[in-house]
Amino acid sequence: MNKRCVFVLLMLTVLTAASLAVNLFAGSADISAREVLRGVFSGSGAAGDILWKIRIPRALAALLLGGALALSGYLLQTFFHNPIAGPFVLGVSSGAKLTVAAVMICAAGRFGQITSGAMIGAAFVGSMLSLGLILAVSQKVRGISMLVVCGVMIGYICSALTDFMVTFADEGDIVNLHSWSMGSFSGMSMDNVRAAAAAVIAGLICTMLLSKPIGAYRLGEAYAKSMGVRVKLLRAAIITLSGLLAACVTAFAGPVSFVGIAVPHIARVTLKTSKPAWLIPACFLGGGIFCMVCDMIARTIFSPTELSISTVTAIFGAPVVIAVMLRRRRGEV
Amino acid sequence: MTEQISAQNLCAGYGKPIVNDVCLRVRGGEIMTLIGPNGAGKSTVLKTLALELKKLGGKVSLCGLDADGIPPRERAKRLAVLLTDRPRVSLMTCREVVETGRYPYTGHFGKLSSEDKDAADRAIELVNIGDFADSDFLEISDGQRQRVMLARAICQEPRVLILDEPTSYLDIHHKIVFLETLRRLVDEKKIAAVISMHELDFAEKISDCAVGIKDGAVQFCGDSTDVFREDVIRNLFDLNEELYSRYFNKN
Repeated sequence: MNKRCVFVLLMLTVLTAASLAVNLFAGSADISAREVLRGVFSGSGAAGDILWKIRIPRALAALLLGGALALSGYLLQTFFHNPIAGPFVLGVSSGAKLTVAAVMICAAGRFGQITSGAMIGAAFVGSMLSLGLILAVSQKVRGISMLVVCGVMIGYICSALTDFMVTFADEGDIVNLHSWSMGSFSGMSMDNVRAAAAAVIAGLICTMLLSKPIGAYRLGEAYAKSMGVRVKLLRAAIITLSGLLAACVTAFAGPVSFVGIAVPHIARVTLKTSKPAWLIPACFLGGGIFCMVCDMIARTIFSPTELSISTVTAIFGAPVVIAVMLRRRRGEV
Repeated sequence: MTEQISAQNLCAGYGKPIVNDVCLRVRGGEIMTLIGPNGAGKSTVLKTLALELKKLGGKVSLCGLDADGIPPRERAKRLAVLLTDRPRVSLMTCREVVETGRYPYTGHFGKLSSEDKDAADRAIELVNIGDFADSDFLEISDGQRQRVMLARAICQEPRVLILDEPTSYLDIHHKIVFLETLRRLVDEKKIAAVISMHELDFAEKISDCAVGIKDGAVQFCGDSTDVFREDVIRNLFDLNEELYSRYFNKN
């Protein structure tokens, strides 16, 4: 047993619980600690309402979706054998954003409320389209830098199309659409959380089940194949899972930047291993903690004005990405 | 000795054929080297033998079975490879790299049993890399790294080893250490080894038989005493008498 990994995972579990708790106590409405506790357990009264309708779903969403984002980044990094890959830089999040916005605007007027499942479905279509485009590009270009440039361009095109649609949509259709398209965990209902939990936890379990072939894939495709890994199947599974996880995040919280690159990197450096069986749970918990803390900062620092979640994740995440690139240049990663 | 790997009228290439009509067979305890000019298709033949590359025609047999009919996992228990591309792994110790050789033997979650751990220890001991087994794979020298990859292949407990230019970028010391280790392993474990090499002097010392590949075809295939002769080598590499004797004849 690897003592360091066990210790880090235990710490992450404790930190997850702590961040969840802190998120319940902090907020724009002034509720005393005693009232928070009473509200959580009884679920009644004004405090109970705020907690069960606003703070708890929001904190759980940040946990689940942050974890999904980090996991999606980890899978893409595994796929491209490169630590700079992630759902945001490769344009996957923006692709999902485009299809979700399209479905929201087209369907909202005619069919009323859209279900959480339909949102995930729409986002999944968008993320897979972006991934398909990126895969096609990766056949043509060598090196990750060109791939990232293409991903960023795909991201810009999708964002431009989204903005275009939002500009010309009816006012009534786009309530919340603007804040959603900037990235935010606000306005999450318990129903949303249930749908997100089902998809994200399924994705997490599937990723864990793939930890053995992913471990062999670390040595490269050719070696993995020689060890008996069905490489084509594995590659398809990795892409589908990362697309699904990124889609969940975008469907509910819009595009959230840098978590997908920063968290897996921090996890690797802290665990000092690249074993998937350790990294997968560490990425998930780490992403959850990162997003819960960032979301708390986003909603409390200038309360009652809220920052978009990407504003905060970028401030903490982007320096990590720069550090990764500098270390790569020195050949350490 | 039983035949471990053989090819009948094998046609190898990427989409269109590069080397045609390859026939060879290697028995346990034998080393066969593939020699020939750059770009002749040695690696292509090796990749096709290792079923890394889809063959374009002919037949490959592995341990007496048609290689096409063996499921990937079972195939991995019979055949291991050492490739030219160096794996770009980060945060893996040499021991962890060696242990990946147990892939076909472990259960669904890849947890190593005590048997698997013993096999890895034995491989590390056989290849004599114990001194740096717990170092990071990226922090050791090329020569050491190549031996780790050999230990990884041995850890897979194969009947057949396929090595693509295993000594190309090693210094003389590491070339010799590597080849001596390989010879010993092949003799002890009765493995059949197929290697491509550019260093003819070393190839002659280490191989039991050799195959010459040039112009999309096998030029010759025979015992190394018949192959490593002036006329054969000069022909294969297009060297005239003067050039050959200037570099190869000692006196």
